[in-house]
Amino acid sequence: MKYAFFPGCAVHASAKEYGMSCKAISKVLGIELIEIPEWNCCGSIDAIYAHNPVLSISLSARNLSLAEKMGTDVITLCSACFFTLSRANKLMHEDPKLKGQVDNVLGNLKLNYNGEIKVRHFLDVLLNDVGLEKISENVKVPLKELRVAPYYGCLLVRPPEIANFDEPEHPTSMDKLMEVLGATNVNYLDKTRCCGASLIVTKERIALEMTKNLLLTAKNAEADCIVTACPMCHFNLDAMQKDVESTFDVDINLPVLYITQVIGIAFGLNVKELGLNRNCVSPMKLLSKLKI
Amino acid sequence: MKPKQFQKIVSEVRDQSFTEEVQKLRGGENILDCIQCGVCSGSCPARFAMDFSPMQIIKMIHLGMRDQVLSSSTIWICASCYTCATRCPRGIDIPMFMSALKNIAIKNGFASDDEIKPKFHKSFTEIIRKYGRMHEPELKMKLMRKSDLRELYQNAVLAFRLWRKGKVKLLAPRMDQLSHISEIFEDLLEKQEEEASK
Ligand code: SF4
Ligand code: SF4
Repeated sequence: MKYAFFPGCAVHASAKEYGMSCKAISKVLGIELIEIPEWNCCGSIDAIYAHNPVLSISLSARNLSLAEKMGTDVITLCSACFFTLSRANKLMHEDPKLKGQVDNVLGNLKLNYNGEIKVRHFLDVLLNDVGLEKISENVKVPLKELRVAPYYGCLLVRPPEIANFDEPEHPTSMDKLMEVLGATNVNYLDKTRCCGASLIVTKERIALEMTKNLLLTAKNAEADCIVTACPMCHFNLDAMQKDVESTFDVDINLPVLYITQVIGIAFGLNVKELGLNRNCVSPMKLLSKLKI
Repeated sequence: MKPKQFQKIVSEVRDQSFTEEVQKLRGGENILDCIQCGVCSGSCPARFAMDFSPMQIIKMIHLGMRDQVLSSSTIWICASCYTCATRCPRGIDIPMFMSALKNIAIKNGFASDDEIKPKFHKSFTEIIRKYGRMHEPELKMKLMRKSDLRELYQNAVLAFRLWRKGKVKLLAPRMDQLSHISEIFEDLLEKQEEEASK
């Protein structure tokens, strides 16, 4: 299984552990991810898009054209990149005038894009290309004691015309993965409720309030951790958790793990390799519960 | 508000050309299809912080309330989470036209450069132009109000927490083909600005 890999800006900076753990489990599962050489910003959901949609779509299209040259679909780890690149792909298909504008821009760079590839999230690959069976075959440490709250958030499963590998209102892909690892999924309401990450830099207080509600519902459902598949959600829920606690005077202390880290733990990979020491809310208590 | 009062306000502010303008935007094509069912507002996770709900914004667009829509906090608070659009029974792409409204608000001076959200959009775009990829510390520096000591302190605490966990990448990202990015920006941004100034 070979794919063009679009890491996105966060995986190269604040979310290194996501990239590390993804690489580690990919090795076990025989997934070959080849980073698109010279990739650029995905085009942004809104920051550049609102300024100038064609500019944002052209930035996306440059990545897509580089991937198309590699002859495979593009895989992303970030829900926001997933959405942005897919949106560009879709709009170019639907709107020949737009496609023409973008073609001109790419032409000046001696690039072209035929629109023949798809943009997919790594979670989709795990579930539908690798399959649950192969994943369960590699489980060395069943996560029997672990109660997890799978968190899907926004653009991983929405809108359905773009993110179409799961169900937008009641997604189950991460739940299914957690089950084959032996973990128990807690029942909680806010699985797909937006965490507010896109507001964290500019409207911090609003974003923290959105994050707080979410953290508390997961905590009240007696989860040992939240599991996420997006570096934006992770930053908000993990790195900003201390700020949530101090702003609203609540005690949360709920580890937030990347789906790839949880899979890696069940595969018996080592803590360093999975970057578990890089999570802000320490998952060590949780690991000792699993006797790791 | 009594219906009479409402009608008076509407007749004073009504600008039918605004409704038509929005209908021409991507995401705004089918805005007249809205049946005011309220599903979007009821689903919106950021509604609590907005001055008008998404449903109200749509009605205001129908009524041509241009200035009120363009100066609302709603268009800047929308987090593009797509809960509303996923559920809307009329297939209206609310976050898409909210994006387009931001653009009109910037161009028409409704969003001043000092306001944090428009400033974020501008700074984000500048950084991508400079490096081709995001450089988070630089974005944060551009947005920080250096006169606010409390904010400076909080940012320092956060920066330390992130740095300890190896989450701060001080070195700016590097691309060998940065010229590609410059060309894309020149092609699109400058052209657009030239056209706008004509
Ligand atoms: S959900 Fe759709 S139809 Fe209902 S009020 Fe909102 S935009 Fe209008
Ligand atoms: S996309 Fe915007 S308006 Fe729609 S539910 Fe999300 S935050 Fe609210």
